[in-house]
Amino acid sequence: MNYSSEYDIIVVGAGPGGSMAAKTAAENGSKVLLIERKKEIGAPVRCGEGIGLESLKGIDIEIPEKSYSFQIGGAKLVSPDIQNDIVVKTDQTKGYVLDRKVFDKDLAIQAGRAGAEIMVKSQVIELLKNENKIIGIKVETDDGIKEINSKIVIAMDGAESTIARMAGLNTTSDLYNSDTGYEYEMVNVSCDDLIEIYFSKEYAPRGYLWIFPKSKDVANVGVGVGGKEAPYAKEYLDKWINGPMKERFKNAQPVAIKGGLIPVGASREQLVADGFMVAGTAAHQVDPIHGGGIALAMKAGVLAGKIAAQAIKDNDYSKERLMEFQTKWNETEEKKLKKRLKLRKALEMLNDEDLNVVISSLDDEDIEKLLEGNFPPVVTKVLSKRPQLLKAIGGLIK
Amino acid sequence: MWGEWMVYINGIKCIKCGACVGVCPTQALTLTEKGIVFDKTKCINCGACIQICPANAISKE
Ligand SMILES: Cc1cc2nc3c(=O)[nH]c(=O)nc-3n(C[C@H](O)[C@H](O)[C@H](O)COP(=O)(O)OP(=O)(O)OC[C@H]3O[C@@H](n4cnc5c(N)ncnc54)[C@H](O)[C@@H]3O)c2cc1C
Ligand code: SF4
Ligand code: SF4
Repeated sequence: MNYSSEYDIIVVGAGPGGSMAAKTAAENGSKVLLIERKKEIGAPVRCGEGIGLESLKGIDIEIPEKSYSFQIGGAKLVSPDIQNDIVVKTDQTKGYVLDRKVFDKDLAIQAGRAGAEIMVKSQVIELLKNENKIIGIKVETDDGIKEINSKIVIAMDGAESTIARMAGLNTTSDLYNSDTGYEYEMVNVSCDDLIEIYFSKEYAPRGYLWIFPKSKDVANVGVGVGGKEAPYAKEYLDKWINGPMKERFKNAQPVAIKGGLIPVGASREQLVADGFMVAGTAAHQVDPIHGGGIALAMKAGVLAGKIAAQAIKDNDYSKERLMEFQTKWNETEEKKLKKRLKLRKALEMLNDEDLNVVISSLDDEDIEKLLEGNFPPVVTKVLSKRPQLLKAIGGLIK
Repeated sequence: MWGEWMVYINGIKCIKCGACVGVCPTQALTLTEKGIVFDKTKCINCGACIQICPANAISKE
């Protein structure tokens, strides 16, 4: 492959975010290079692969049939004692369980079709700087280490992000605002067309367990737990599968293990520097409640790609010019994320008994209100059943 | 002089998920195609990587 020694825009990481950024910037006239560490874009998967229809609204992309495994009609939320559940079938909960191996690669293919050049099995190891300006990258490839210049670098290198830190932006995940996930893809798990979410302090402290169906009898079965509990993620999941869920999983067999870090503290404040932007999960642009980051990364990628391409046309790659990304993000998505962070912190205070009461007293319309950020009517309803929660959740009314 | 213990990554338990990389405050860890690479000169013995690994693959040595 022949690559130039200079590009307008270099995108680091070909996850859903990076590919959307590269595609958008190329469509808007920039000369783009997309660089991915993996030798095959999309593999291995580190994700539950669930995506909601609502979250995709506003993203100009078609999801071809081959990119998803199963169509989802709603979500089922299950109480810790497994005695009660709420089934919610709205646009917020309808969606897909993707086949990310195919989905991610297809988005990169679309970026390539739009004119972006792509490097795989190539790891960015350093940023090139001129004083404080980022002017390119150093990348390790099979053909050796190369230096490539750029006007703007967009870092979309995911949860394991190191690139933004090289630019002087603090994107380290602190333990309190980190969840880790551990997951098996399993066969012989009978499923409806619902994603299932199980709340349990015992088996998923500060998190939840999930069953995301990939077909009628195959599912991603996983657990996400808060930072402190992370080393026991696998243990929790195994105990749950062999304990309260024994009957359901009695014939289940794993065909894959997946896992990873999910930053759940909402977006970092500083997203730009001179000649540099960070976006997607690398910038912690993830839903603090359920840890979903695919659609948010795609939205962030489109926004970053568009603004970067315009900055190239304007011949201004300064921090001030790129600040538009940060401002626009804060005005739109971040507002919702901050609200959901508040909800996450309130939910953390509830014990299993509280959660049993909450789930038995709410219905699908209440959950829809919560998902829309309309907390007061739901909080009032919960408090009428469990007044002692005033301290934990009363703040959500304000 | 670096710290009192060394990070040990059990290559068999490690599922190459990158969680440790995301919490390391000093970029002492990098995820490559081959697995995690540990740079002992950068490590400050904070233990964050040990606490976050979902596969319990990291220990002190
Ligand atoms: C266990 C688990 C379950 C999850 N379940 C869901 C879910 O059901 N739904 C959902 O929406 N989200 C889920 N998430 C979150 C979701 O996976 C991420 O938020 C999403 O992938 C973020 O997209 P991205 O494009 O920002 O980054 P990524 O998809 O992480 O892509 C980043 C890319 O950058 C590459 N890269 C990194 N460093 C370099 C480098 N130095 N040089 C070159 N390339 C590099 C990586 O190889 C990677 O391909 C889950 C996460 C985990 C860990
Ligand atoms: S102990 Fe701390 S500094 Fe050392 S590798 Fe782990 S996270 Fe990084
Ligand atoms: S967090 Fe654990 S399993 Fe994940 S890459 Fe690091 S050592 Fe491996």
